[in-house]
Amino acid sequence: MSVINDLLGGFATALSLANLMYALIGCVLGTAIGVLPGIGPVAGVALLIPVTLNLEPTSAIIMLAAIFYGTQYGGTITSVLLNTPGESASAITTIDGYAMTKKGRAGAALTIAAYGSFVGGTAATVGLVVAAKPLGSLGLAVGPPEFFSMMVLGLALLVCLAGDSMTKALISGVIGLMIAMVGIDPVEGAPRFTFGNEFLLDGVSFVAVIVGLFGLSEILNTGTERPGKVETPGFRALLPNRTEFRRSNPAVARGTVVGFLLGLIPGMTGSVSALLSYGAEKRFSKYRDELGSGAIEGVAGPESANNAHANGALVPLFTLGIPASPTIAVLMGAFLQQGLTPGPSLFVDHSELAWGIIASLFIGNVILVILNVPLVRVWTSILSIPPAVLTALILVFMVVGSYTINFAAFDVFVMTLFGLVGLGLRKLDIPLAPLVLTLVLGPLMESKLRESLEISQGDFSIFASRPICVVLLLIALVIAATPLLRPRRRKTRSKENQHEAA
Amino acid sequence: MKLRRFAAVASAGLLVAGLSACAQAAGGGKAADENWPRKGKPIEIIIAFDPGGPADSAARLVAPELEKKLGTSIQVVNKTGAGGQVGYTATARAKPDGYTFGGTGSPSVVVAPLDPARGAKFKRTDFRPLANQVIDPQVVAVRPDSPIKTPKDFVEAGKKDPGKIRVTTTGLQTGEHFAVADLERKTGAKYGLVHFSDGSAQAMTAFLGKHVDVYVGSASDLISQAEEGDLRPIGIMDTKRSPFFPDVPTFKEQGFDVNHTTIRGYSAPAGVPDAIAQKLEKALSEVLQDPKIVAMIKELGLEPRYMSGKDYEAYWAEQEKNYTSLLPITKEK
Repeated sequence: MSVINDLLGGFATALSLANLMYALIGCVLGTAIGVLPGIGPVAGVALLIPVTLNLEPTSAIIMLAAIFYGTQYGGTITSVLLNTPGESASAITTIDGYAMTKKGRAGAALTIAAYGSFVGGTAATVGLVVAAKPLGSLGLAVGPPEFFSMMVLGLALLVCLAGDSMTKALISGVIGLMIAMVGIDPVEGAPRFTFGNEFLLDGVSFVAVIVGLFGLSEILNTGTERPGKVETPGFRALLPNRTEFRRSNPAVARGTVVGFLLGLIPGMTGSVSALLSYGAEKRFSKYRDELGSGAIEGVAGPESANNAHANGALVPLFTLGIPASPTIAVLMGAFLQQGLTPGPSLFVDHSELAWGIIASLFIGNVILVILNVPLVRVWTSILSIPPAVLTALILVFMVVGSYTINFAAFDVFVMTLFGLVGLGLRKLDIPLAPLVLTLVLGPLMESKLRESLEISQGDFSIFASRPICVVLLLIALVIAATPLLRPRRRKTRSKENQHEAA
Repeated sequence: MKLRRFAAVASAGLLVAGLSACAQAAGGGKAADENWPRKGKPIEIIIAFDPGGPADSAARLVAPELEKKLGTSIQVVNKTGAGGQVGYTATARAKPDGYTFGGTGSPSVVVAPLDPARGAKFKRTDFRPLANQVIDPQVVAVRPDSPIKTPKDFVEAGKKDPGKIRVTTTGLQTGEHFAVADLERKTGAKYGLVHFSDGSAQAMTAFLGKHVDVYVGSASDLISQAEEGDLRPIGIMDTKRSPFFPDVPTFKEQGFDVNHTTIRGYSAPAGVPDAIAQKLEKALSEVLQDPKIVAMIKELGLEPRYMSGKDYEAYWAEQEKNYTSLLPITKEK
């Protein structure tokens, strides 16, 4: 039970009035930063590192962790209210989150998002406390071939994202892969589809694409007719009702598991977790047919997943000293600047501090909920701004946000272009979710395939000789094959109906 | 005839006008040089890599001290992308008035212009190197139970089973790729390279998960794992040993002349007036050698190695020569 003692000691370190203040300031700052598209958690944490340099190590890390949680939640706010993802991990939340806003359930969506984030984050931190070492080695078992197989599995979920038409879903998915092809290829190092433009060497900026695809195209589509005309709901209507709560629980649980497990694997990103969690809802939720038209599961799942992912990603940092995601890399920089080397020895050499940090992760999660649930009211009041003014404000917001991704006007062009592309896709009734899925998975899949084949020296049997790969690929095959079976059954059933009618 | 005379007169006239314009500009410029930096006008440091990374962290440590020396505010701006190319272009093309300079790190800044396929819009002479701050040598590391113990063992193993030993790089034409290619060229050994184009964290994960055999990477990327005993560094590719691994020999000590380091310094766009460049160099030399800054850089796992603008320029030119000769090898299949 020494773990519990250590953790309690950690709370004793972390729970000073000053530290709580830092956590509070961090959450507020973080949320404010996260609300701006373009500045996601990575930049948010990095920009504020200098502020924390003169603090005690525990206070500094507490504040940064709080900023990190805050930015992530801030991204959700704009996704839900304005259909403009503030950062990449909440891209998929826009689909159902914004649909809920249209139905006047914005408050419920935001509250459930905070609730899911809290559960996901806390559960993942418990995992970190209880079983960091074995979980760390679990992450290591995933080499490039396993990673690739996992991406194939993710891609297979595309069939679950298809609405009425599989053809349209595949078109959308292929467009995503095509966009993902832009940039320096990992095989020969040659620039692909860059047209000599060096801004394209790294590929098209993901955030600019999704801000255009979702946010701008929505504005273009509806003109000034904003559905924001819902009168600001009273406090009770802000909270999720009992059904919404009940329905969100299984989604939160699934999202937490998906996010936490993927978080253990270095190189996996929070957006992959959110997407796969959305795919899982589409596949397993009781209410899967409602997804896409404002189902609470579409917010609860991905939001729990990306927060569980963020906390799960701390496992490789604490057990192996590997920064598993860009945000963790920034946090690692903060550790180093405080003179701490992340890794197992941190718990030996600076045990009090290490446990203080873990305790502060719990505290950060709690503060996030306490702070944001009452603020939901403030956020949703944005919707009572007259539509014409609100639209103009959002446009400014999207342009500034795209620009600040990299301080380059080029990303503003990308955003605008994809606004038009998104408008075209909407008019043709082509779903956007498959595009986002392939755009996120495509580049990871390509580099992992290449790495696997470099390890095997070009021999494809590497995927058949590893048990984890085989299992993953088989599951992918089953998922991809289900729609081939289902419509036939439906057809036969309808035939039977015809027979009965006759 | 008339026409020719007219042309001669006109060009003479133009010449005079041009010269006087130059003189005026120079005169105005001189006054501006003396007043540089104007109080209240901020100086921008362009960093070509992500916030929180080693290049960015080093610059953000330096900025506040530099502010005190120069008496104006200093902002670190991240312009990232294309392995640094976007930020380097921004630095090279900035107005050479001393209010913008950038972090320059090799091999990225050296390699980008060498390969025409990358379409880099700058070359070495578009920069005026001001100072070098850190050096981060390439280190070859193995798992603790590996029979490979020294650079000699590593080379022998690569000769005995050509292409069988899996070695990580952090992507094509990165410092790691050049380092291994150079070693292969000079010794005749051959390794199975696996390029982790997503970066060192991915390479390290595959190495610790035993999916590859040997990890090659910057010293700063493996200090933490070495301290934990998860990996064992066997050789440093620098002219001297690393202060972080005093017991690990250099390749040079064992008779292999391969020096591959990442060095990170600061450069202004070429054409910046000498008076301003000298002021910047002076301020940088004081700040970069300040014991407080040196200690903080070491905390980051980076080895401080100050070089003046002149020395930095020479080192840069030397690396350029080396990489130019290695580039064709890295493109072979």
